[in-house]
Amino acid sequence: MATFELYWRSTIGMCLTETLDEMVSSSTLSSELAIQVLVQFDKCMTEALESQVKRKVSIKGHLHTYRFCDNVWTFILQDALFKNEDSQENVGRVKIVACDSKLLSQ
Amino acid sequence: MTSSTTSAVYIHVIEDVINKVRDEFVNNGGPGESVLNELQALWETKMMIAGAIVGRAERSSGQKQPAPGSAITPVHDLNVPYEGTEEYETPTADMLFPPTPLQTPLPTPLPGTADGSMYNIPTGGSDYLTPVNDSGGNADVKGGRPSPYMQSPSPWANQRTPLSVDVNVAYVEGRDEVDRGTSNQPLTQDFFMMPPGKRKREDFATQYNNGGGGGYIPQQDGAGDPTSEVAKTVENQANFLGRHDSATKAKSKILAHVATSSSKILQLDGPIPDPFDDMLSTPNIYNYQGVVSDDYNVANTPAPNDLQAATPAPVSQNNTVDDDEDEPLNEDDDDDDLDDVDQEELNTQHLVLAQFDKVTRTKSRWKCTLKDGIMHINNKDILFNKATGEFDF
Repeated sequence: MATFELYWRSTIGMCLTETLDEMVSSSTLSSELAIQVLVQFDKCMTEALESQVKRKVSIKGHLHTYRFCDNVWTFILQDALFKNEDSQENVGRVKIVACDSKLLSQ
Repeated sequence: MTSSTTSAVYIHVIEDVINKVRDEFVNNGGPGESVLNELQALWETKMMIAGAIVGRAERSSGQKQPAPGSAITPVHDLNVPYEGTEEYETPTADMLFPPTPLQTPLPTPLPGTADGSMYNIPTGGSDYLTPVNDSGGNADVKGGRPSPYMQSPSPWANQRTPLSVDVNVAYVEGRDEVDRGTSNQPLTQDFFMMPPGKRKREDFATQYNNGGGGGYIPQQDGAGDPTSEVAKTVENQANFLGRHDSATKAKSKILAHVATSSSKILQLDGPIPDPFDDMLSTPNIYNYQGVVSDDYNVANTPAPNDLQAATPAPVSQNNTVDDDEDEPLNEDDDDDDLDDVDQEELNTQHLVLAQFDKVTRTKSRWKCTLKDGIMHINNKDILFNKATGEFDF
């Protein structure tokens, strides 16, 4: 099962990579083991988002940039509105990075 | 500050990951359980610092979560309109506390979100405003540069037609002056005689001299050089006989400019001659045209500017070339814009990481369906398992 390394850029992913970097630098942990932890994190994160999250969001905004490269869509929106069920957020500029869901299920 | 559900999901993920890698840590000569626990502790600490998860102790007590509008907490939230109990509703309390909702303009959002939202939105707007203003200002400035140079030919072009009108007027007035100049006519005749093989011109000259009623004086001005006179006669032929030979036409065009520029005939560039000096240096031809030449002086004084106007033209061209090189390319506008934002706002950059099911476009309208995403916007983490996007490009 392939992993995206997509969620490594999230808050939780960054905290994990920072922690692993510190431990590998202090030789507390081997780099191979750190890679295994990250791979496991990808799987768990994807599975948790599928099963534990039940939220639908709608996004509207002005598309400033779009890019499709290596099966990854990157959008940069301006003046975006994120509508939640009970709340909404306005952001001046947001980047959306999306991987192909079909690749993960292969 | 993330919501409790997001925090719970994160904690679940952390524990799931730790449990799944425990085998690698403990068995097969791994670092051991202690290292694993250290990993988990460090990870959770960083998450708490980032505000992504709520601490364990706080979760267990479940009361320290700051929430706007909660009047149960022992700490008074002054941003909430005061709702005192009866024992506090004394006149003094009413005098002291009712103004509270008026003093605070808005219910302040949570500190984390306030900082994020207030800083993100204006900078996002200003970053796009300033380059636009700069480019617009530059366009205005650079667009205005050629204009002074562009306008310079026009006054002289406009004045050239009056010259011709003035010339005609001068000729009309010159009827009286012909009498003055009658003494000089033999001289002009002599000049006409000098070039060989120009008998036709002599005939015309005699006709002019004899007629006089036409008011056409063959020469209005001129240098003492015979070539210029020949050219003038050619011009006169073209003007009066209606001949449109190419050679004569070209010469007439040259002489039209020459005639208007009076004494500066042979020089169109180089040092700007003083019109008065040239008149003095030329022979007596100008004498009978003294009054007429005054008109030309009026017209001629701008002539030096003609010469000056020629020189700015290449300069303005250089400017436009530079403008073409610098302005329309605008190579760095977007790069600077995006780079600055990315470098400066790495921590607060709003980011959505997700998987896409479908991305479509119709003209400039984009639609996409996303799933299983983590959003970090306005310093908040929001998870979704389905999202629809509609963007206008």
